[in-house]
Amino acid sequence: MYCISKTKVLTGILVTLAAACAHAQVLHSVNEENGLQTWHFIEGDIEIELVQRLPDQSRALLMKHEFSRDVIEELALSCMTQTIIRNSGRSGSGQAVSIDLKQWRMQHKGKTSGIRLKEQWLASWSDEDASPAAKLVIRWGMFPTQQEYQPGDFNWGLTTYGIPPGSVFDLTVTWQEGGESRSGEIRNIVCAPDVDKLK
Amino acid sequence: MMVMKALQGLVVSLAVLAAAVQADQTLTAIPGGVKAPEFALQDTAGKTHRLSDYRGKPVIINFWTTWCPPCREEIPSMNRAWHLLEEDDIAILAINMGEDEDTIFIFTADYPADFPVLMDQAGDVIAEWPVKGLPTTYVVAPDGTLAYRAIGSREWDDNVLLDAVRALKQGR
Repeated sequence: MYCISKTKVLTGILVTLAAACAHAQVLHSVNEENGLQTWHFIEGDIEIELVQRLPDQSRALLMKHEFSRDVIEELALSCMTQTIIRNSGRSGSGQAVSIDLKQWRMQHKGKTSGIRLKEQWLASWSDEDASPAAKLVIRWGMFPTQQEYQPGDFNWGLTTYGIPPGSVFDLTVTWQEGGESRSGEIRNIVCAPDVDKLK
Repeated sequence: MMVMKALQGLVVSLAVLAAAVQADQTLTAIPGGVKAPEFALQDTAGKTHRLSDYRGKPVIINFWTTWCPPCREEIPSMNRAWHLLEEDDIAILAINMGEDEDTIFIFTADYPADFPVLMDQAGDVIAEWPVKGLPTTYVVAPDGTLAYRAIGSREWDDNVLLDAVRALKQGR
């Protein structure tokens, strides 16, 4: 019934082995085809996956919609990652996992700050910057700021960090699991470089 | 000896992995008899569908867009589910958020969808539903209440899911 590629099976084994460990695991990998890096955080029932996104990939998506050139550049150069958050249900506890991205903290060049949320982007644009239809793309394409996941649930979306391409930062992620607040760290996340830095 | 241990470890890992994959095939029950928000939306052929038109049968309602990877991933299994459910008098409606007929038409050339695809171009309907991310799927019971929810994609032709929906038809 399930069609799982070899890569997915190997990734799954790594994830499974990692999950068997008591502490948080961060699996770092590089896609051999496109060179994009992935950071996969696993602790308890939560999995958080951050996948680099080239500024040109974001430009290509945004140019299909009615964003001004300035907004397209600002978004494309804001260190956008594809983000997946999942409640694996691996523990068998049946507990929900919930996140609030307002609680996440990034450390960059010695400063600690919040990540740039979709509400902040949307509030910063006039109708000239982004049409109502274009704003819908951000409303639904960027990761929900708050969400609860039952076992088996996952969500996909874009997250932005507001720092230039090629920057390196650490991210402290927090979540609620079974009524308890928990946190972990993903270190040395690299924002994808812009096209002029590619070899 | 070490090879045996490695193989044992691999087998254990694969078993746990299989369980993890299986665990993804979940529907979350929604207690309390919450009424599903009514809507009236046109499909890509111009026909208007109201949720209340489907009263008396379970309805699987999928919110999606063409640019959302997991949405694209689950369309083929949803299409297979549609054919599996044809004789069960169970409906599937896919509500596309924010896109026009041309975009959906081009998409469905690559990802055939034989079930009705409704267009919520202004995002008014999705705003009335408890949806935070895409894809999200609700199962509406024959009495018009929300029965189940799934956040993220599923393999919709899996009988683990479809039997839960069929049970609603049988009043269980």
